[in-house]
Amino acid sequence: MFVSDEDLMMRCRKGDIGAFELLVRRYQNPLINYIHRSINDYHRAEDISQETFLRVFKSASRYEPTASFRSWLYTIATNLCRNEIRNRSRRNTYFFEDLVEEGEDVYHTEIMRDTRYLPDVLLEKKEQRQMIRKALAQLPENQRVALTLVTYQDLRYEEVAGILGCSVGAVKALIHRARQKMKKLLIKAGIGEERVDEKI
Amino acid sequence: MRKYRQTKSPDICSSECEVLLATPDELSAYIDKELPAWKRHLIGWHLKKCKICADRVQRLQQTDGFLRHAGGVEVSDDFLSGVMARVSEVAQHQRQHNALRSRVARFIETSFGWTRSLSILMGSLRYNIRTRSPVYIFVLTFAVFTMVGVTLYPPSGDRLAQKSHELELNAEKLISFEVIQPEPPKRLLTTYLQAK
Ligand SMILES: [Zn+2]
Repeated sequence: MFVSDEDLMMRCRKGDIGAFELLVRRYQNPLINYIHRSINDYHRAEDISQETFLRVFKSASRYEPTASFRSWLYTIATNLCRNEIRNRSRRNTYFFEDLVEEGEDVYHTEIMRDTRYLPDVLLEKKEQRQMIRKALAQLPENQRVALTLVTYQDLRYEEVAGILGCSVGAVKALIHRARQKMKKLLIKAGIGEERVDEKI
Repeated sequence: MRKYRQTKSPDICSSECEVLLATPDELSAYIDKELPAWKRHLIGWHLKKCKICADRVQRLQQTDGFLRHAGGVEVSDDFLSGVMARVSEVAQHQRQHNALRSRVARFIETSFGWTRSLSILMGSLRYNIRTRSPVYIFVLTFAVFTMVGVTLYPPSGDRLAQKSHELELNAEKLISFEVIQPEPPKRLLTTYLQAK
């Protein structure tokens, strides 16, 4: 039987830690991936995800089922990511410029180290991931957040508007501009039409 | 690696496109299924006729598909246990905090209970004792006089010491009276004559 996030949260409000564990199981993967795409550092992404879950747990007593749990979770995560990026820029460490290998996930690098002959598919996936991460990192912050939430987290425009604190129309514009810019960046990275044209 | 379809980018849009799509953002919303049904149908019809818009939509869908199929990272196995360990720490801390809070609340409640019962008692007393009753006036006057007296003539320490010294002397007298040897009884005249 499927129990909704909101019901689990209400059980958690009554002190049911098992219900909270279910929520963590449900959201750990998408949340870490979302944060990883936003800040491009896997280990920090784990820390921030943990912090997000803890904040949710601490404020469970004040949770009202009127708000969607998912939107609430991503709002907390987005704010923490913003803080992280702000702190980094204060420390003058701009991560998004040099992320080719730095941000690569632990598991795939493990596989790379151990396997002598990699299947083409795996290599292709790894290249794609790197290029996409690089391109995403070059988007303006709000465009990146909106596009990531819609593409990978399957959030509705309305939910994204709630998280970013803007109108649905503004989200529509952000998504469209982000997609257009992504297309250009991917072409520039050598996966687009221009490269095909060059070959021709 | 997947490549974008080679197409010529359209710069000029027909007037119908402009009428249909107030802003180009609508096409992104169309592929995300974020438009109302009537508008979706309208754009669907237009895409069948207009190659320019159909190409635009296809490019957007390619970008979106490319992003979606890139995949993500797998979360490490100990992430969940790490989160739950910290959550149980927080839960324990919250339990302790709540216990302390409820104890303080109970204390406040009981003390409020006392004051309430006291105020009820005072209220009933005020109700029962008539201020014009002679007993009330006498008790009040006595209390006031005692307080004024105590304030004006406080019992001095010297006088008390003197009093206690006197008491001690009396006690000594009593003790010495007990210690005095009883005098032998005087001989009676008859016994004296008999002895003679
Ligand atoms: Zn058109």
